Amino acid sequence: MQVRQRSENARRRMRWLAMPMVAALLLAACATAPPAAPAAPAATSAPAATEAPAATAAPTADAAAAPTNTPIPPAPTPAPGRFTYWGGLIFSDVANKMLEDRIKQWGKEKGVEVDVVMINQNETVAKVSAAVESGAMPDALDMGTGLMQTLSKNGQLEPLDDIFKKIGDDNGGWLDSAAASVDPKVYGGNIWGIPFGLSGNLINRRDDLLSAKGFTEAPKTWEELGKMAEAVNDPPKVFGMGFALSNVGDGNLMQTIMQTYGGRIADDEGKNCTIDSPETRTFLEWVTGLYKKGLFPPGATTWDGAGDNKAFQAGEAAFIANPGSVYLNLRENDPDLLAASKFSGLPAGPKMTLQPYGPNVRAIPVKSDKKELAKDLLAYLADPEFMQQYYANAIYGPVLKNQLGFAVFKDSVIHVGLLDMAQNGTAPAFPDVNNPAFNEFTSNFPIPKMIQRVVVDNLSIDDAVKETQAACQLIYDKYK
Amino acid sequence: MAEPAALSTRASAKKPRITLRRRNSLLGYALVAPIILCLLVLVVYPFIFGVAISFTDREVGTEGNFIGLANFIYLSKVPSFQKSIINTIVLVFWVQLLKLVLGLSIAILLNQAIRGRKLWRGMVLLPWAMPAFVAYLTWQLLYAPQGGAFNLISVGLGFGKIDFLSKDLAMPSVIFATFWRGFPFWVISFLAALQSVSQELYEAAAIDGANAWQRFRHITIPAILPVVLVVVLLSTIWTTNGFENVWLITQGGPSDATMTFPVLAYFGMQTMRIGEAAAVSVTLLPIFAIMAFVGVKVLERD
Repeated sequence: MQVRQRSENARRRMRWLAMPMVAALLLAACATAPPAAPAAPAATSAPAATEAPAATAAPTADAAAAPTNTPIPPAPTPAPGRFTYWGGLIFSDVANKMLEDRIKQWGKEKGVEVDVVMINQNETVAKVSAAVESGAMPDALDMGTGLMQTLSKNGQLEPLDDIFKKIGDDNGGWLDSAAASVDPKVYGGNIWGIPFGLSGNLINRRDDLLSAKGFTEAPKTWEELGKMAEAVNDPPKVFGMGFALSNVGDGNLMQTIMQTYGGRIADDEGKNCTIDSPETRTFLEWVTGLYKKGLFPPGATTWDGAGDNKAFQAGEAAFIANPGSVYLNLRENDPDLLAASKFSGLPAGPKMTLQPYGPNVRAIPVKSDKKELAKDLLAYLADPEFMQQYYANAIYGPVLKNQLGFAVFKDSVIHVGLLDMAQNGTAPAFPDVNNPAFNEFTSNFPIPKMIQRVVVDNLSIDDAVKETQAACQLIYDKYK
Repeated sequence: MAEPAALSTRASAKKPRITLRRRNSLLGYALVAPIILCLLVLVVYPFIFGVAISFTDREVGTEGNFIGLANFIYLSKVPSFQKSIINTIVLVFWVQLLKLVLGLSIAILLNQAIRGRKLWRGMVLLPWAMPAFVAYLTWQLLYAPQGGAFNLISVGLGFGKIDFLSKDLAMPSVIFATFWRGFPFWVISFLAALQSVSQELYEAAAIDGANAWQRFRHITIPAILPVVLVVVLLSTIWTTNGFENVWLITQGGPSDATMTFPVLAYFGMQTMRIGEAAAVSVTLLPIFAIMAFVGVKVLERD
């Protein structure tokens, strides 16, 4: 009995000890982390392949000459909590820092606590997806129009028609290209993003090698570019065609070239795929022919996004297509190679010339509780004086008419090309219809894959085209 | 024998009390409650949620509608999906085989009284200690056809350039890099298991005339088998789910030569069609379920 009594007492003591422990464990183990800056991802490393370029000479164009903004109405009273901005990292550390500082300056002026998180743009979709699902989107963010299209379609973005008009009015109006890139007719009746820069590919070429072979001018057509590339091809030292054929964004240049040959992804209604065409076959014969002649570097079919950059910077490619990051890198690290290089717009195909611009926009998530503040920030960021300095360090074409006079668009060879693209370039997807099906198709890189099927798997041109047509139709059928 | 029961009945009738046994059970339940709750919230709920959305057309920011097996039917028609099935099986099979054979060999070696044994044991852990991102990016640089270290050596030795990321060599290259990154876990696990085998068994077997192979076959293998099974099970799941190894070296190319389930799911996420992306992952479930079932059964038997 004594033993039993002792045992019972021990259990009783144990129970008293255990209960608080269980409660504490329950709380400790399952407590969620305190809500940090709304799902702010750790800032990722800057995109590879470039070092920060030294700040360029201060723009000489008189900022005073630029139209000044009409007074921005006072920002509304800040809602409690911090204001979070997700900026897209670009290849210029100086420009990244400028954006961050500008937003922080705005925060100080408005008495708002601000978190600026710079995100590697390759990860924007993944981070935004997670943030939308967990209800932790920032108060404003940078994105491309593909993501803008998906988010607006799903009711995740705030309409910005009012602030778009105001910024346009304050800055001499929007360039047609910028306005077309957020056209409400394309995106369901509203403006969902404020353009702040147009990016796009320019041809970078080794003028020293080409001039030695008698090619002193930029190639006017893709066929001509191929012939020039063949003339200077000297593997393994130099490869003529430094264009990516891999499953990355750079690989989609091949889609653009195919379109210049008259190939189309889908019909004018954007419903049925039309890849299987004689024009697509002509393009595929041309590009795979050059591959088989050894004009593409080995590895071009598996390059990551920096593969072509590295090849050109290492002096191993005569031609690449690049939005300006290579220029910035050479300016900082290899002036000799920069002096030996020239930049020009994309050549014409047999059917048309395409110089697609990729609009970059700032958007406001619909669930932000600081929408008015966010709109105020977007207007603040469009300030001409700031944008003049920003463009001098970034690799974007202009979006507003008052930006056309900025010095950088006269002084910098790469920015001259970007200005030309902003004024004469073609809208994303053109001549195809820019719709969600097109965006999904492009995200899966089927055109570079079609080329891979021929040059890697030795599939016939005919089979590769038919296979791509079938894969395309599968995607488009989902959106019918 | 009936008396205590009768007493107990009378006591219960006077004052309803839970039995001691039940009180102990309740205490036990209370103690495991936190971990069960965590498992429900962190494992079971996401798991069921993932399976559920694979049957919907859900996109990021929408609830989605139930579409039955449409995602799976669509995937079955996508050439990349079919290739990813084969590639995933090939990748996992060869990586696990290499890890098993070489991991066990190295563990046996490190279990011997060799010079600098502690140093070697420490060094063997290095690949596993390195962040996967850094490790695979380094392998990508080593394999690179242009300026890659292996090619510089190959050219220096007069063998010419080798395209390690070509159609024929891309998968072996990914397999080797994946093996390199993962084998230390196997070595350390096997080493721990080997150290737990009693030396007396080996001595007795030696006295009975058993040779080295017989000792390995009849003493070592049975003794470490439970550890081997657990390691195989865990590592197979990790390898099948591995993303960085393929993404950072080949992005699934060239021409889907290294396309695996996780990379395909990532492409699905790029279009924000999470129902479809979830379907890719859910396709793996039966395989994992079978593996887990077999693993548990074998462990129970042992």
